[in-house]
Formats: sequence, C-alpha cells, structure tokens
Amino acid sequence: MEEKKLPDVLEKETTRRAFLRGTATAAGSALAITAIGGIAPKKAEAQYSVQGVPGTKPYAQKYRFAERQNCTGCRSCEFACSLFHTGNVRPALSRIYLAKYKDIVDVPVMCWHCDDTPCINACPTTPKAIQKDAKTNGIVLDPKICLGAKCMKCQEACPAKYIRGNADTGQPLICDLCGGDPQCVKACMEQAGNPQGPCLQGRPVGIGVNMAFRDVTPDQAGKDLANLLFYPNVEGKRVVPAKTKTKKGR
Amino acid sequence: MATPKGGNFGKVLEIDLSKQTFKTRPVSDEILQQYIGGRGLGAYYAVTEYKQGKNALDEDAFVFVGPGPLSGTMAVSHRTCFAHKSPYTGLMTHAETGAHLASEIKFAGWDGLYIKGRARKPIWLSIVNDKVEFKDASKMWGKTTDESHEMMVKEMKDPEIRTAVIGPAGENGVPFACIIVERFRAAARSGTGMVFGDKKLKGFAVRGTKYAVPVADNAKFLAAARVNKEANMQGEAWEGIKKWGTGGLMELKHFLHGSLVVKNYQTTWFPDIVKIGGEEAMRTFWKRHAACTNCPTHCLKLGVIRGGKYSGLVAEGPEYESGGLLGSNLGMTKFDEMIALIEACDAYGLDNISTGGVLAFATEAMEKGALKPTDLDGLKPKWNDGDTYMEMIRKIAYQEGKAGKLMAKGVRKMSKEIGKGSEAYANHVKGKELAAHDPRGDKIRAYSYTMGTCGGDHHEGQGPQALGMTAMADSLCICSFTNFLVYGAGTDKIITDMLNPLCGWNWKTEDYWTTAKRIMTTERVFNVREGISSKDDRLPIRMYKEKLPAGPRKDVIFTDADQKDMETKTYGFFGWDEKGIPTEASLKAYGLDYLIPDVNAAKKKYNL
Repeated sequence: MEEKKLPDVLEKETTRRAFLRGTATAAGSALAITAIGGIAPKKAEAQYSVQGVPGTKPYAQKYRFAERQNCTGCRSCEFACSLFHTGNVRPALSRIYLAKYKDIVDVPVMCWHCDDTPCINACPTTPKAIQKDAKTNGIVLDPKICLGAKCMKCQEACPAKYIRGNADTGQPLICDLCGGDPQCVKACMEQAGNPQGPCLQGRPVGIGVNMAFRDVTPDQAGKDLANLLFYPNVEGKRVVPAKTKTKKGR
Repeated sequence: MATPKGGNFGKVLEIDLSKQTFKTRPVSDEILQQYIGGRGLGAYYAVTEYKQGKNALDEDAFVFVGPGPLSGTMAVSHRTCFAHKSPYTGLMTHAETGAHLASEIKFAGWDGLYIKGRARKPIWLSIVNDKVEFKDASKMWGKTTDESHEMMVKEMKDPEIRTAVIGPAGENGVPFACIIVERFRAAARSGTGMVFGDKKLKGFAVRGTKYAVPVADNAKFLAAARVNKEANMQGEAWEGIKKWGTGGLMELKHFLHGSLVVKNYQTTWFPDIVKIGGEEAMRTFWKRHAACTNCPTHCLKLGVIRGGKYSGLVAEGPEYESGGLLGSNLGMTKFDEMIALIEACDAYGLDNISTGGVLAFATEAMEKGALKPTDLDGLKPKWNDGDTYMEMIRKIAYQEGKAGKLMAKGVRKMSKEIGKGSEAYANHVKGKELAAHDPRGDKIRAYSYTMGTCGGDHHEGQGPQALGMTAMADSLCICSFTNFLVYGAGTDKIITDMLNPLCGWNWKTEDYWTTAKRIMTTERVFNVREGISSKDDRLPIRMYKEKLPAGPRKDVIFTDADQKDMETKTYGFFGWDEKGIPTEASLKAYGLDYLIPDVNAAKKKYNL
C-alpha cells in the first residue's frame, strides 16, 4: 500500500518540506502522548529549571535521567528524598539510593517512570495499590491496599531492579516525583557541581532518556561505569602491593 | 541527668572485646553540651578515666569513635573522629576521617562507639542498628585493608556497610599505623591502627537503617542548615577544591607560597613538582570525583594508571599531604611511582605522612653517613628511588628485619638510636613527623604543629582562634573545608544557629568559644599530666637553624621572636600561663574545676 503511494508523494513539488513537517508533527504528538499521557498542563509543576541556569524557564519534570559518570556519591539525593517523604533524614527510606560497585563507582538507582509501567501491571490488587499520577507522572502508593512484604510483585517486575522494601512497613518504596518537584534533582543540581555537571536531571519527556538505561540492573550499570572510567582495571582491584604475606599476630 | 532533646540519642555503644559483651553507656545532655561529641567527648572520657602515665596499650584502654550531633542531618557534617591516648606520642590524640561512616553510626542509633578490652583471637565487629556481633577475623588477619573490607562486605552481604579496618601495619604494631575507612579514606596520624592491632580488632562494619537523628525544632534547624549549605556551595575558593582536591596545592605551594616540603624539609624549591602535581594528575590520572556524605565539596579524586609498570593501578590522590610527603619530600619525579607508594601505604594501613617523614629522614641520614646500608638490610635509599622506597614501606609494615624494626620506630626514636648528629634533621614535634607544610614558608602553620594537641599535625588550626575552631569542628565532626575555612569570622554564629534548634540548647556565640577553649584545655591538661609544657611546643631544630635556600621564601627562617609571639598569643587566648599550663582561673571559667588537682600535681611533679 505504501509503495503505491510513494511515487505520488514524490511528484508533488513541496514534498520534502511537507514530509518533514508532517513527520515532525506526528513525532510531536506521539511524544506528547507517550510522555504525558495525553494531558499537557500548561503550568509546569517544577519550580526548578533543568539546566539550573537562572532565568531559564522551568518545566515539568516527569522523567528523570542520571549522568551516571558525574555522580560523586554524596548521597544528597537520599537525604533530600527521605527528608521530604518522612520529615527526617533517613536514607534507608529514601526513594532513590546509591549502589556501590567495587568501591570505585556509585550508581544512582532510581525510578525511570516507564510508560509501559511493568510494576503497576504486576500489582495483583484491585484497585491497584500503585498508580501513576496522571498529572505529575509520579507513582503513588496506597498503603491501605498494598499487600507489603509478602507480595512485592512490583519489585520482581521492575526492569531496573530499583524497588526496595520499606524497613518499617515492608511496603515498596516507589518514587512519586515529590508531586512534580523532585527534591533529589534539586539537591543534585545544587551541589554536585562536578566540573562535568551534575548527575540527576529532570525532563518533561521520557523518550531517549529512559529507554536505553532502565533495563539495566544496578550491578550492570556499575560494571558499565567502571569500564568507562577505570579501564583497564574494571574490577577496581588493588595492583600494589604485589607482595603481602601472612604473619601471626603478636 | 537530662536526656538530649535532639542531635544526639544520649547513648554510646560500649564494647568490651575481652568479654565480648556490649552495653549502652548513657550520656547526659549536660556532658554533651560541654564536650559536644567526637574529639571533645573522647578527651572527656580520657581525662576522667585515665590516670597519669596510663599505658595506651593497656587492656582497658579505649578508642572512642565519635560522630557529632550534626552527623546524619541536613547540615554538612561527615567526619568521624577516633579519639584515644596515642601509643606513638603518649599524648591525647584524635584522628579524623571522611566518607560515610559517621552518619551510618547515627542511623544505627548511636552517638559513638567506645571500644575497650583485648580479644584473645583476631575478631571484627559488625554493628547493624542495635545488634552487635563479634566475628572471627582469623582469615582476615594479615590481609591488606581493601581485601579485609571486601571480605566484610561479602560476609555481611551488603555493599552499603561502612567499614573501618587496619592493615598488616596495625596488626604488627607499627606505631604510626592508621585506620582505613571504606578503602580510600584514612584516620591517621595518631597510631589508632596500633591500638586496634593490640586489641586484636581487625576493624568494624556499621549499617544503620533504623533510626533518624532527632531534631528539637525541625523548621528552624532546616533553615539554619540551609544557610550552612549555601555558604558551602557558593564559596568561590572552593571551586578550586572541587576541581583539584588538595592535590592542586602542590604547584601552588611550590611556586607561590614557598612551603612545599622537599627532601626532608631541606628546601621548598622543587621544579619537578609539575611532573607529580595536581595538573599532571588532572591531565593523565583523575577519572572521578567523590564526596563524603551530603557534601558539596567533592575533594576526593580517584584515578587509574594506564600503561607502564603500574598499569591498572586504581588509587586515590595525590592529595596535598600524601603527594607532598611521598612525592616531593622523597624527590619523586615519576607520577606512577609516587601513586604506587601512596597506594602501598593505604594497603598496609600506614600513615602516609609519618611514613613519608621516616623514609625521607632515612634517606638524608644515608646521604650524610649517619646510616649505612648494613643498618637497613642492604637497602640504600636515594631520592627519587621508587623501588627502594616501596621495599622500605613493606619492611616497615611487617617490621621485617633490622630495617623494618628500626624504621617502624619513627623519626624521634630513630634519630636517638643512630645519633651522629641526626637530631639536626630529625623533623618531628612531640615525636610525630611534620606534615607537608614547611613552617618557615607557612609560618602560621607552626601553630598547628606546635600548639595543637597531637603534635606535628597540620590540621589543628592555624592561629589561636583557629585552634579553638578546629577543636569545635573535630568535636562536631565537621570537615574544616566545609566549616570555618568557608565561613571565616561568621563561624560561631552559623554553628550556634544550627546547634540551638537541633539540640534544643540555648547557646550564644560566646558559648561556642567557651566550649572550644574547654575542649582544648581538657586535652592540654591531659598532656600536661604526661609532662608536656612550653619546652615541647617547639618546631624541629632545622626550622630555627637553617634558612630556606631557594624558592619564593628564600632566606626565611623561623626565628625565636616568631616562637615567642606564637606562644604568647596561643597561651593568652586559651588562658594558659607562660609555660603553657592552664591557670586555675581559666579552668574554673571553663567549668573544669575537677582538673585543678591534676594540674597542681603535674606542676609539682615536673617542676613547672
């Protein structure tokens, strides 16, 4: 069918421009649909612009992205997250956390807010105990419905192996994007300030930022990072001193 | 006895290694207000529990591992203090380290760990929230610090545990052995490793998930912590530390400041510094910046050597101290060899600074004929000879042969043993080697070396006020990079503003200074009891006798006038007399009346 149409299209004069325009519009609407689930609120929830540059327009941070090689391992994201959600600093209850790999790199482990929502699909309750907030794209947990530690189907389903259990209640810790203004991004933007730039970023769209990275476990991400930074010693093994010997204690 | 309203739990974990038991040691809010935590609390325990002449390696000698009230909160505070009596110098001492250990101890619900006793067999401790386990360390004994760390992680099945371990040096009783925290950070300079080794304690691992630090007035505290953090994020000078760590100081101190240490403090001029300094590291070595808990100043730089003899070597540094003492102080011009020396010290659990001082002293003694190769098992150290230095480090760590046993004694005892005029270039203060700041070029650093509690330490504060502020910083367990070096004169206010809503105290800025003086004076009384007075508050002979031969501070010398000025200012500030003994009036003013008999007895004993 398409092959038949093709000559017709090419015969037209302004085909190329129209084609481009047409693609752009199509891609744009596809983006909007995937990214924000059909609702595009004009007012951005986030008060913080992505680039951290004063004067730039803030926009909704419906997805997050991590420049993993920029992570300094300072855990300010964990501190900010647990403070926002529990009122106290307690990284064990943070909805984002760092995984150490061979002591040489830290990997921020976080929710990518997938559009295909494997965790929500896996949730066995009716209605679902975890649901996406259509407005903010955050995943909200209803603690009254959630079955807690005995279930954890969401944990199994998560392709990034991100979800962990709450040490107190046993229920999953899932990212709700702080109602549209993710505190972890704010904290990282402010203080990481690596010469290369901060690690965490918020984005209005998910395409191209989450698909390539989400299906990777924290361990694999650590391996990737170690390979990127510390080649040829990707295991971070100590090379010196070669000679150690065991001697009985005095 | 009031329980703390916030900042602290009022519980210190007391561990007895002999009986393999643990209990909660309550700490009252009154004591915490007076001594804060970390260094201050450790000094309080030592001065009240120890008698004069206590052997630092006794079975009931303790090591106090302290975070501070601000650890594990939104304030920038991430240091852990190891306070105890040093087996190296015989004085009160404290070693601080960064990383994530402090907040983890708080999240486990403790204000500190008080470790005493001696195990019969090597053990290590696992502390998970309220649970303490004594684990067999016979397989770890003899292993390097990173191997032990890895074994702990493996056994606990949790990569997020925070560890502090000793290496072979600590096990074998090297008096300048250190504690290595999370593989790359060190609590060094005070012989804590030797005390751990003597206690047959390989190390400990902490994991805290259960508790959050209580806060008396959350809204007010968060606002104050915000001020603290913003000051840190905006400090322009700290862009340098972020980018270069302290390694960037190597060129700066050489070309501009004239206080780099070169070849056992013979000069400060070493143009080859460009081959081993921060710029070379930036160009060829550093791959990653790493930060301590919640800190915007990510000063730790990790790198990897690609190619050459040490290809694949992953290491931290060079920092200014490690690169200065194991680089320019040994005349090193090969970057990878210097990094290998630093890494070897970390692996064996040796203090980089003291080791560098010992190696440089041995080299100069060899050059001047005071030492012969036969004294060092045939080794003949020369400047810039990385391979020989590597072998010497190994010998020190295992106290191997004549060389190892001699060098493991440290510079003071070495020079006493070999004699032959070596005292003239034995660079130590109160028995501890100097750090990488030549006090002729950096005269204000002499305060830190001589007037500080530990002796020979670069990190005790430059100037009388700074000595006090450092005492506070080490008790609050805040890094000086995120504390008074950023705030300057406003430090007292920023800290008081944070402490009041956090702990529910009612401090004024004067209380900050009284507490600083109280902590310094408590430690001073401890040292006075051990016989310290103004006669010991002196730099090495070289600093008074030999002019700097080259560099930006050519011909500068540390004069007697400088010394006198320093003594007057420091003793005056803390309320000590001209011999450096705390006066009765000032002891009373700081609420240290209980120490007056001790001071009087010491005065009588040492004829002061």
